[in-house]
Amino acid sequence: MAKKTNKASSKSDLEKYINKRLFDTIPLGIAVIDPDYNLVYANKAFEQLFGSWENRKCYHVYKNREGMCSYCESAMTLKDGLPRANEEAGYDKDGRHIHYFQHTAPIVDDDGNFPYVIHIFTNITEATQIRDEHQVLFDQVPCNILLIDRNFRIVKANKRLREWLGDPEGKYCFESLKGLKHKCTECTARQTFADGRIHTGYHVWKSPKDKTLHLHVITVPLKRADGSFDLVMEMAVDVTQTLKLEDGLKFAHRFLETVISTSMDGIFAVNEKGKVTIFNPAARKFFNIKDNQVLSREELAGILPKGFLSQVSEGPGHVYLPETEVKTIDGESFPVRLVGNKLKRSDDSLLGMAFSVQDLREIKQLVKEKLEAERLAAVGHTVAGLSHGVKNLITALEGGMYMLNSGLSKGNVERIQKGLEMLTRNIERISLFVKTFLSFSKGREIQAKICDPAEIAKEVVDLYAVKADELGIALTNEKIGDVPPAPIDYESMHECLTNLVGNAIDACQVSNGDSCYVTVRTFEKNGVITYEVSDNGGGMDYEVKKKAFTTFFTTKGLGGSGLGLLMTKKIVQEHGGKIDLESKPGEGTTFRIKFPRRRLPKIKA
Amino acid sequence: MSAKKKILIIDDEHDVLAYFEAVFQDSGYDTVVARDGLEGFESAKSVKPDLIALDITMPGQSGIKTYYQFKKHPALKEIPIIIITATDESYKNLLNELNGISTPEVFFSKPIDPEELLKVVADILCDNNKEKII
Repeated sequence: MAKKTNKASSKSDLEKYINKRLFDTIPLGIAVIDPDYNLVYANKAFEQLFGSWENRKCYHVYKNREGMCSYCESAMTLKDGLPRANEEAGYDKDGRHIHYFQHTAPIVDDDGNFPYVIHIFTNITEATQIRDEHQVLFDQVPCNILLIDRNFRIVKANKRLREWLGDPEGKYCFESLKGLKHKCTECTARQTFADGRIHTGYHVWKSPKDKTLHLHVITVPLKRADGSFDLVMEMAVDVTQTLKLEDGLKFAHRFLETVISTSMDGIFAVNEKGKVTIFNPAARKFFNIKDNQVLSREELAGILPKGFLSQVSEGPGHVYLPETEVKTIDGESFPVRLVGNKLKRSDDSLLGMAFSVQDLREIKQLVKEKLEAERLAAVGHTVAGLSHGVKNLITALEGGMYMLNSGLSKGNVERIQKGLEMLTRNIERISLFVKTFLSFSKGREIQAKICDPAEIAKEVVDLYAVKADELGIALTNEKIGDVPPAPIDYESMHECLTNLVGNAIDACQVSNGDSCYVTVRTFEKNGVITYEVSDNGGGMDYEVKKKAFTTFFTTKGLGGSGLGLLMTKKIVQEHGGKIDLESKPGEGTTFRIKFPRRRLPKIKA
Repeated sequence: MSAKKKILIIDDEHDVLAYFEAVFQDSGYDTVVARDGLEGFESAKSVKPDLIALDITMPGQSGIKTYYQFKKHPALKEIPIIIITATDESYKNLLNELNGISTPEVFFSKPIDPEELLKVVADILCDNNKEKII
């Protein structure tokens, strides 16, 4: 009995416990509301979550609202007596935002009515936050992530991948990612499914638009607590751009290496510590340095002009020496063109220095040989021209002698007279010929003074005005636009234009046309002063044009020395200018001489 | 009595023309003179010379171009031409280059030996005569 009593007593204790204490011991918040949504009962866990509740409405406590929720599960349960469960968000006792899971169940009285509703809360704030964070991470991480099941079907893909592929979920990974009809021969996911370990690999994916992506892939098993797993997470980082850059870099490097090693110019470089890092084959040849010999900073300074290295490293960054002397490693000097460049990082700190060197020995030799060849050619021209002039003069002299002799033997006074005239005339020509020749061979130095270019033309035209008038040639001078004063050797330019105008007048005399003209124009365009001398005289054919500027070439027989145009060309060149001609036989000739201002001679102080 | 042979002398130099004219006239030839290639060509068309003495270096149209003009003209191409010039020999290439055009009969370099010139001219004209007779 006692036993029974004991039993009964412990049972009643249990009931007491259940009635009184259990309610407060349960780690879930529990509250009871009446049909007016007043909280009428709540346990400790509830108080810990939501704080004080007495005489308050449920919506006020849970959600900090003044009025009823627009969607109220309790109202529905009060009506239909069905239990409900829902995820809700509200505020805890300290006003913090919380997520909770809410069960709503009716309390049924003996009459089958629902006088109360019971709420049971599970706080899932932390889990929700973790879930949200994972979702953000999953979608926003800068790589493609997908979950694959054992059938190689995509279970889930992150936002980045979906943007690229559309919606691949449920499709085979090899189909969606690579456009294949069968599984890949090498598959990191399969390896992970086989051994449960992490695997990495390099994959190439093809987008539906045929874009190719190169990816670095990691596959990880999504293991449960017991170690079993049915899903593999594949994370793929796009390395297309990196590969492209790498390729570009490799190409640039190879290109540079080829250029440097095959360059005819010497190329060498030092790093920021002054260590010689590049010394190409051409430079080794110039400086007589063996292929395997490493040059020290001191040796480098020794072969370059004194102070050149510091000039480059301490200067603004670029040093150019058009002609300087360097030494071979054995100390033998030779002429070079030398360029030094400071190499800087983007933050302006010194990265090193690069140099290029051009050996001038061969060029100098070539220039010397060319000058020699030109000199010889000039001698040849001079001799040929001289002989042409001399032959013509001798012919004329012989003509004079013939006339004189035959006149004497025939007693023909007229012929004797003519012979004497011919002799006198040609002896004078010999004297003029020799004088002109001497003046040309002596030459004279250009002396530039500031003068009005158009004024020179005007003076030359004035000089010929009378002669032109006598010959019935319309000689005109035109100045087109403004031609400001320029540094010119007045007398030389005068001679130049005199030659051209004189030639033009001569050309008119051999022309067949009736109305002849010679026009001199002076104008300036884009900083180039131009004189133009045009005539509608005899013109020149190809052979004459070709020889017009060569020494002693003349079409005027004994009337010309053959030096005029050559002299003209020389003067034009001394003024940094160019001369050209346009001519057609029977139509006339235009000589044009052009002087770019920036190349005109400097005025000597 | 056969008509005198006519020689056309083309040279830009007045004294040279006077000289050659006197030389040829003294040996019984008729002469016509021209001061440049164009004038010489026009003149040849009207006077139909038996021989042409042509200079190379002349203003306007050079002797080389004039030579081609003669050799391409149907009525004038058979007229023998001798070149008398002070120019160096490089121009000869220009006269030898063209296909189908015969080279000049003879080249004389100034100064000339009048006797030699007359002998050559006589030979050319005589040969021509013979050919014509045959």
